[in-house]
Amino acid sequence: MSALKPDKKVPISEDEINFSVNGDSYKVRVQSNWTLQYVLHDKLGLTGSKEFCNEGACGACAVIIDGRPVLSCMILAIECDGQAIETVEGIANARHPLIEAYVKHSCMQCGYCTPGFIVTAKALLDKNPSPAEEEIKEALVGNLCRCGTYPQHIKAVLEAANNLRRGQRV
Amino acid sequence: MSSDEMSKIQELFDNLKSDKYPLEEYRSVGKRGVRRIDGYEKATGYAKYTMDVQLPGMLYARFLTCPYPHAEIKSLDTSQAEALPGVRAVLRYDDPELPAGADLGGHETSDVPALPRVAHFQGEEVGAFVAADNEEIAEEALKLIEVEWEERPFVLDPEEAMQPGAPLVNPEAFPNGNISNQDIVNVEEHGDVEKGFAEADKIVEFKFRQGYNTWIGPERPCGVFRWNGDYPEVWVKQQRPHICKRAIASWFGGIPMNKIQIHCLYQGASFGGWSQMPWNMGGHYCAAVIAKRTGRPVKWMFNRREDFYGGEMDTGVYYFKAGAKLDGTITAVKGRAVVVNQGMPVFGFVKHFAENTRIPNIYGKTEAVWVNKGPTTATRCEQNSNCYCLNKVFSHVADALGLDPVEVALKNDGAEGHDMTWLNKQKTKLGFQVRDSLKECVEKGKAAIGWDEKWHSPGTKRLPNGRLHGLGFVWTHEWDDSGGTSEIAIRIERNDGTATILGCRSDIGVNGETAYCQVAADELGMRIEDVHYKAQIDATFFTMTPDTSTNMSVNGFAVRNAARLLKRQILEAATTSSTTQLGSAPPAFPDKKPEDLDIKDSVIYEKADPSNRRTLAELVKIAGAQGPISAPLGEPFRIGQPYLNYTYTQPLFAHSWQVQMGTYADVRLRFCRQAHFMEVEVDEETGEVEVKKVVTVNDVGRVINWEGCEGQQYGGAYMGIGRGRSEEVVHDPATGVMLNGNLLNYKIPTMLDIGSIDTALVETGMGYGPYGLVGIGEDIATVTPTLIGPAVHNAIGKWVEDFPITPDRILKALGRA
Repeated sequence: MSALKPDKKVPISEDEINFSVNGDSYKVRVQSNWTLQYVLHDKLGLTGSKEFCNEGACGACAVIIDGRPVLSCMILAIECDGQAIETVEGIANARHPLIEAYVKHSCMQCGYCTPGFIVTAKALLDKNPSPAEEEIKEALVGNLCRCGTYPQHIKAVLEAANNLRRGQRV
Repeated sequence: MSSDEMSKIQELFDNLKSDKYPLEEYRSVGKRGVRRIDGYEKATGYAKYTMDVQLPGMLYARFLTCPYPHAEIKSLDTSQAEALPGVRAVLRYDDPELPAGADLGGHETSDVPALPRVAHFQGEEVGAFVAADNEEIAEEALKLIEVEWEERPFVLDPEEAMQPGAPLVNPEAFPNGNISNQDIVNVEEHGDVEKGFAEADKIVEFKFRQGYNTWIGPERPCGVFRWNGDYPEVWVKQQRPHICKRAIASWFGGIPMNKIQIHCLYQGASFGGWSQMPWNMGGHYCAAVIAKRTGRPVKWMFNRREDFYGGEMDTGVYYFKAGAKLDGTITAVKGRAVVVNQGMPVFGFVKHFAENTRIPNIYGKTEAVWVNKGPTTATRCEQNSNCYCLNKVFSHVADALGLDPVEVALKNDGAEGHDMTWLNKQKTKLGFQVRDSLKECVEKGKAAIGWDEKWHSPGTKRLPNGRLHGLGFVWTHEWDDSGGTSEIAIRIERNDGTATILGCRSDIGVNGETAYCQVAADELGMRIEDVHYKAQIDATFFTMTPDTSTNMSVNGFAVRNAARLLKRQILEAATTSSTTQLGSAPPAFPDKKPEDLDIKDSVIYEKADPSNRRTLAELVKIAGAQGPISAPLGEPFRIGQPYLNYTYTQPLFAHSWQVQMGTYADVRLRFCRQAHFMEVEVDEETGEVEVKKVVTVNDVGRVINWEGCEGQQYGGAYMGIGRGRSEEVVHDPATGVMLNGNLLNYKIPTMLDIGSIDTALVETGMGYGPYGLVGIGEDIATVTPTLIGPAVHNAIGKWVEDFPITPDRILKALGRA
C-alpha cells in the first residue's frame, strides 16, 4: 500500500545538549527527533515520567521547566539545551510534603499516572501555596487517571499545601 | 500435616456459609489510615512497570497491523525492512519456526496462530513482527514492508452480520456463518414468562444498543522475553501471570514450569482487558523466537492505538419485554441479546434478575455474533450487560407505572424467584445475621443525594439556569464469585520477629497487598507495621490475582488461614523446649501451654499474667543469630549442659491455600446489595449532561481497608460515568477503520467531569469472604455506567435507550436533531 510508505528519508541530525535535571548537570548526545520523555525515561533512567497517551493529552509525563508543568512527550530534547528540569524523582528526593500526602490519601491505584499528578501539583503549589479546591481541579484537569482516583488528589494537595505553609518536610 | 490440621484447614476454607471465625477485636482491619504498602513507590516514580524494563542489548519489537477490516496477505516483501540499519530481525507469518497454533493465553488454553496471515479487523496484528535497536526504527521498518493485501467483504453491525448472505466475518474459523455455532448461544429460563405476562397489569417493551467501549490501559500492552540458556525469563504485563507460565511451558516442545521465570511488576492497569484474551501471549511468542535467534532480550509493545482494538463484552443489541403489576411487582422478564466477538465463554445477561429479585418468570437468550471489529472481553467485569439489563428493565417499569424506582427495587428484592422473607430464612440458615442490605444502602444513598426532596416525575423540573434537572438510581447485588486457587505463606523473620507474607504479585492497584497485611496482623496479634507482603518476583506462589474477581474472597482466606496456622506454631514454639546438638534449650514460657498464651502488639504474653511477656523478636532472636557459635561472647560451650536464658525456635513458617469454585449462580445466594444515585442537569439546546453529583453505596460486608474501598468507589464511579456518557470506539461504516483510537478523541473522564462523589459503605457482614466481606472492586464501574440513563430520562422525560448517552442521542430523543 503506497500510502503507508514513509516520506523521502531525511537524515536525522544529532547534537549535544547540556541541561540540568533535579539539579544534576547532564551532557547528552541526542537525536533531533527524540522527545524529552524518551531521554529522561530511556536514556537517564528517570522512569517516573511515564508515557501514557504519547500525544499531550494525559499529563503522565509531566516535568517542570521554568516553573511550569510541561508535557515531556511534546518537547524535543534538543530544545532543552540550557534548561533546568525538575522531575518527580527530584520532588521525592527533596521530601516534598506532596509525596506523603499522596500516600496517606491513597491517591494511587495502578500508580502509572501518579507521578504526573505530583509534578503538576508541585508546580501549582510553587506558584500558589494556598490553592482553593477549584484551583486544584483546574490545575490537575489535564492529568488523566483511568483508575479514577481524582477526589483523593484534592484532599492530598490541600493537605500538602497546609504542611508546606507550616514549613514541613516529611 | 496431621489429619487434625487438615480438617481444621478444610473447615477454615468452607466459604459456603457465614465465616465462623470472626475476631474478637479488629485492630488493623477496618481502621482508617493504614499506610498503603505500594504508596511511596508509586508516588515517587520509583515503582517499576514492564514498560520501564531495559536490559543490556535489548531489542524493541512491534507488529505489522492490517489497514483493512478484513483482508488476507497474498504476498509479503520484507527485504527493505530487513535492510534498514538498526533492524535486527523480521519474523514473518510464514516463518518455519512458527507453528500453526500455540497456547497464547486466555482463561482456558488456546490454540491460535501467533502471527496470522489473515486479519479479521482493522488494526489486527498480522504478517510480520520487527525487532530493532529502538522502537522508532522498528516502526519505520514496518512502513517499509511491502504487503499485497487481498481485501475481503466485511460487516460491522451485529444484526446485519446475522442476516443470511452477510459477509463471512471469519471464514477460516466459522465457514458456515457468523452465528452458526450452537456453542455460542446461551439460553436461561426460569418459570414461565408467558404466564407472567398474562398476570401483569402493564407490559413494557424496549430495545437498546450498547456501544463498543474499551478499557484504556495506561501502560501499553507489552512484555520482555529473554532466554537464559535454555530457560525463559519473561516480564509480563498481565493480570494472570500463572496463565503466562502455563502457556510458555507448552511452547517449543515443552519447557518444565520450574525452569520458567516470570516477573510481574506493577501494571499500568488493564481492567481485565487484554489479560483475558486467548491471544494475549502472541507478542511473547514472537519475542521468544526472535530472542532465541538473536541471542538478545526482546521487548514487544503495542502502540497506543493498538490498545483500543478490543472492547467490553457488553457490546451489542438487547431486546426486552417486561410485565408488572400496578404496585410495581414485576411478574416476568424476557430478553434477547445479540452480543459481539466475545473472547470468553458467552455469558447470560438475565442472571441478575434470578440472583437478585423475586421475579419468578425469566427468559434470556444470548446470541453471540462475529463482526469485523476487535475482540471483546470482560472489562472490569463480564456482568456489565446484566447490570444494564436489570436497571433498564427496572427503570422502564417504574416509569411506566409512575412509581418511585427505589420503591420498585425494594418491592422486587429477593432471590431466585423468592421474596425477602424466604431470603431472610436462608441468611439465618447459613449463619448470617438478618439485615436488609438494599434498604440500608438506599437509605444512606437517598439521604446523601436528597432523593425525597428532589425526586420528581420525569421531565418536570426546570432549574433557574434553564436546564432540566434529573435524578437517577440503579442497584444490584455485590458479587465476587469467580473461581480461583490461592497459595500464601507467612514466615516470621529471624532476629526481629517481623512477619513476611509470601505470594505472587499481579498488582493493578486495588491495594490488596495492604489488606492482606491487615488480615495477617490481626490474626497473628501483630502490629500492622510488623507485617509486610513480599511479592515473589517469579510467579511461583499460585496466588490468585485481582483479575479473576477474587482478591479478598480467595486470597483473603488464604492469608487468614496461613496466619491462624502460624500463630499456633508460634505459641507452640514459645512453650516447647528445643534441642540443639549442644543440648536442650528451655521454652520461652516454661510450664505453659499454647492456650495459656496470646499475642498482642507483636508481644507474646500469658493471659493469666500479662506481665509475663516476651516480644516475638525476643522469641526468635537467639536462633536467628548464626547458631551457638555466635551466642554472646564469653558463653562457655559445654556439651550436654543446658543453656541459660536462651530459647531456640524452629523456623516459623506456615503455608496455606484457598480453593474457590466459580459460583455464578445456583451455588451461593447473594445477600449484599449496592445502590447508586446521580443528579444531573441537561441542557436541551446542546444535549450536554452535567453530572452534578454521584452517590455510591456498597454493602461490602466488612471493610478491611477503608481507603481501598473508597478508592474503588471513586474510581468505579468515574469509569462508569465515562462509559455511560462519552466512551465509544467509533468505526467508519464505509471502510471499517477505527476512527478514534487515541485519548484525544476517545473521551475518558477528567477531574472536572463529575461535580462531586459521595461514598458510603454498609457493613452487614453478609458476604462469604473472611469476616463476612464481599469484594466490590469490579462491581461499581460495572453498575454505574447505566446510571446516567434513568437520570437523563428523569430530566428530559424521554428515554435515550442507546449507550453511551451522548449529546447527539439526547438531542435525537428530544426531537432536535
